[in-house]
Amino acid sequence: MSHCIVLYPYGIYTYSDIKARIKPEHMLQFPSIAVPRQSKAAPIPRRTADVPSRRRPAAFFIFMQPFEDAPLTEPVQPLPMAASAVRLPKQRPSPLAGVGSDTHPLTQSDVSLPFRDRRSNPSTASLFRSTLTPPGSRSASPAPSAGTRSPSRTLSGSVFGGGGFKQSLLDTDAADNPADPLNLILKSFVPHIAIHGSEDVDQLVGDKGFTKGLWELLRPFGERIQGKVTIRDSNGGARSWEDFAVRFTRFGDEVEDPDPVAGTMKSPPPTRPTTANGLGPGGSQKPQPALPTGGLRAASLITQVETVVDRHLTYAEDACMGITTPTTPTRQELDVDTTSPYHALYLRRLLSGIPLACHESFAHPVACVMAISSRNPSPIEALRKLYTETSQGDRRLPVWVDGAYLRYYVLVHDEEQSDISKSMALFNQMKQHFGLHCHLLRIRSSQSAETDDDSIPLPRSDWMTAAEELSDIERSDDQEDFEDPTRHIFESDATAIRTFVREMVTQSVVPNMERNVSVWNDQVASRRRGISGRFMSLSKRFAFGSSNRSSSGAGAGSGSSNNNYDALGFYRPEAPEAVMRRLADFAFMLRDWKLAMSTYDLLRTDFQNDKAWKYHAAANEMAALALLIMPQNMSSKTRIETINQMLEQAFYSYHTRCNSLYGAVRCILLALELLRLRGGSGTDEAVRWGIRLLESRLMGPVGDALLKERLAICYASKQGAGSQAWGSRRRKSALWSVMGAEAWIEQSKFIQAQRCLNEARKMYSLLPSECGVQNFAAASDFLAHLHEKLKEGLSIDIARAHGGDGTGDRQRTREPDLLMDEESETLDNRRSRRTSVVNMSGGGGSGGGGGGGGGGNGTAALETAPLTPLVPARLSSVDDERGDAFSSRDGFA
Amino acid sequence: MSYYFAIIGTQDNPLFEYEFGTSKQGGDGQAHFNDQARHLNQFVLHSSLDIVEEVQWTNGQLYLKAIDKFFNNYISCFITGSNVKLLLLHQPPSSPGGGASGLGAAASTRSSTSIAANPTSPQTEEAVKNFFTEVYENYVKATMSPFYRANMEIRSPVFRARVVAAGRKYL
Repeated sequence: MSHCIVLYPYGIYTYSDIKARIKPEHMLQFPSIAVPRQSKAAPIPRRTADVPSRRRPAAFFIFMQPFEDAPLTEPVQPLPMAASAVRLPKQRPSPLAGVGSDTHPLTQSDVSLPFRDRRSNPSTASLFRSTLTPPGSRSASPAPSAGTRSPSRTLSGSVFGGGGFKQSLLDTDAADNPADPLNLILKSFVPHIAIHGSEDVDQLVGDKGFTKGLWELLRPFGERIQGKVTIRDSNGGARSWEDFAVRFTRFGDEVEDPDPVAGTMKSPPPTRPTTANGLGPGGSQKPQPALPTGGLRAASLITQVETVVDRHLTYAEDACMGITTPTTPTRQELDVDTTSPYHALYLRRLLSGIPLACHESFAHPVACVMAISSRNPSPIEALRKLYTETSQGDRRLPVWVDGAYLRYYVLVHDEEQSDISKSMALFNQMKQHFGLHCHLLRIRSSQSAETDDDSIPLPRSDWMTAAEELSDIERSDDQEDFEDPTRHIFESDATAIRTFVREMVTQSVVPNMERNVSVWNDQVASRRRGISGRFMSLSKRFAFGSSNRSSSGAGAGSGSSNNNYDALGFYRPEAPEAVMRRLADFAFMLRDWKLAMSTYDLLRTDFQNDKAWKYHAAANEMAALALLIMPQNMSSKTRIETINQMLEQAFYSYHTRCNSLYGAVRCILLALELLRLRGGSGTDEAVRWGIRLLESRLMGPVGDALLKERLAICYASKQGAGSQAWGSRRRKSALWSVMGAEAWIEQSKFIQAQRCLNEARKMYSLLPSECGVQNFAAASDFLAHLHEKLKEGLSIDIARAHGGDGTGDRQRTREPDLLMDEESETLDNRRSRRTSVVNMSGGGGSGGGGGGGGGGNGTAALETAPLTPLVPARLSSVDDERGDAFSSRDGFA
Repeated sequence: MSYYFAIIGTQDNPLFEYEFGTSKQGGDGQAHFNDQARHLNQFVLHSSLDIVEEVQWTNGQLYLKAIDKFFNNYISCFITGSNVKLLLLHQPPSSPGGGASGLGAAASTRSSTSIAANPTSPQTEEAVKNFFTEVYENYVKATMSPFYRANMEIRSPVFRARVVAAGRKYL
């Protein structure tokens, strides 16, 4: 293989062409450029050579996706250089061109490939970039976890392996993989820094094209602090983290009111009406006077997340249908290390919307940036005003938020219009007034265009909330000429901001948090830890237990001196419980799991005694998570029991006592991921919790299907022992894959369904006996039926996508053979058996059994297989039941 | 309570399948599985072979008791010396009287203590054990036929009748 060619809808390019980043939107506008080109004898690019040959397409075609993908996975860069606004709908392998020679010119019809009108705008694709990369393409990336699947990854600990709890999860390589749930957890429970800017700052930033203020400009820079951040833990040991992150929020956003003990809650304070809050039908959360209760609000958050993921899926379905190739995800083994992009997105959106609530202080600002600009005529006055606004008045944070967070003062200097000497003078004055926590941020005020020499694209924030993303997507639907949301800033600005963020985090925020942790630990928590502290809590419990109970029965607990949980439904910030909760959260954010865990553990009992159920749930949840992450020398059995107990209480308190769906879902999903990483019996526990979540039906259809898919991966990641792989869960995994496929087909998400089915088949083929459920009549009928549905669905979509086009017929015949192709490959040596089974189930000649009919020797014979197959009588009777069967969600009503 | 009983050969192939319902306490002996989800029984049973393969090494007994649970389905296992597994999937009625139409209102109150409603209770375990033992006995007799080869489907009507009888007797 001496040539490498990239097939692209508009022509053939060599690898170097792609490398030169020809922007696809240019191609769209000037198709005449895209003359198919003979390939020069380019050497095989390294990356191609790295791809295992099994995954290499048969002909000499490498699809563009892996290269496009590369910038995303390049580590360390805090700001991905190419925020691939250019990711186009993926390519279709053209069998015509791909059969024989590498220089076969494309047919005319391929050049005028019909994109659907809405998709013709490539900028829309950037909205969906987080999921557009097929998960398979990741293994071509240099990410360490992809190619080499280290067996130590999941620490086995069941009958067939020792205990796996000696190691901190952070020392596994899962922590480095950006899409991995563990990484998501680390990146989501990070210090929140509120941004509060004066109007002139917003104006200045507005001139640069950022309408939502300084917050919008800074946000992407918080996602990864440049360089290492060294954090000292409570014992004085220091550890450096490469991937520390902070979250910038707007001051006063996303406030969730506590549920008063008595009953229904007050309306939340209207958040500032911003464009981000205007939502569509799916998850309507407009700032409305209607009173969403805590449960409803949390539910609507889940609805939003569902809607966003659904939009992504639909987009992929539309854009990729008949264009994309299912090859990448399916031709490799079920890769337990890569997360489905949709699942990652689901988790990320779920976690990015941590509301500012009283029962957990993660979203409480750790610091607040007060920003003024050099344009301000009376800067000191303005700063004073900002300060007053944050400490009193209407816009201050609710009473349960500790007001003593760090104030960080920033002077934004306009490099183009203001005088630097004046700004320096002002800055010096600020330093005298406010001490060290000041920064002079020098940025240019003019807008940077893409064509500028030193402009770099500012990526969209990974951690935007579901509401924001939804509104973006909806805007793109409404407007014909959707404007690319990618903004550009000057390189110099980016450097300045990066420096600013790093300096603020390493010199002010983190030290401040460390100091707080040690102070609170000394003054509040350690008192409780000693013998006297335990005694105190005991005496408190017994001495006042009776009065406590009676008072809470009367609905008023505020009067009793021993109960800090007052009738409003929250702890005052100076109450020891609230301080300890903050301590634990800070420790968690600073990754001092041990301290966090022990503090949460103390809090659990306190909150339970006070019957502060939401607090109780949250403390249990975080205790379980911290316990799962940290290393500890405890037998895995006791540990799993402890964790189960905590999760049980968290789930029960969230779900039943507080009706907080968001909390319940988040708690289980995160615990599931961590348990999965623990391996061994943790895997089984993870699935048990997953089933629990499915049973409670808290999530919508998308979440359900994603979860089923996830459970399949969960089981798949359990390694067996010996040649028979005893102790693995391949059959279980396949079962869940099948259920996932069923759920996806129900929602007409055929690409996902196809992936699930392929995974199921792969799992069955890995079994020692090499056959799955084929010998079970009803089950294999059902599988055949899913295939049937899938094929129908795929062909309908293709027909729709290419309808009215001359190429329609050809597409139609092409898709099935694509399927056959891939199936015959996985069938391999089991072809004969498979065929006989298919015949048995009656779907034989029509390809009903999933392509067994012709085997692999003659795809040509199958090319025109009828799409409305000759369903035998037996299948059709099942067919009638199908409609109903799909309506029952987990199949067991 | 509905049961799905299967004998699984060494190649994950079913040698014998039989669906039935409880005959105790007014049960009509018919399986009341959800028709749309019937195929799932086989999937679930098949998938629990994973667990069997693990549990068999922890336990010297042939009867492994209830080894797996999938939503509302419990799976008991009896493994023979030749690595043939006797698997029984039992599904308690989801709501009193809802699953088993044969139960009257009076029967449903009684059924809360019956083996049908408590799939993990010792009584159920004992009943299932008796069932398995009897079926195993008959299985050995059936497979001693000189015309039977390993992993062949058991088609003997006598065997089927005996399984039916055992089901009626114990479950």
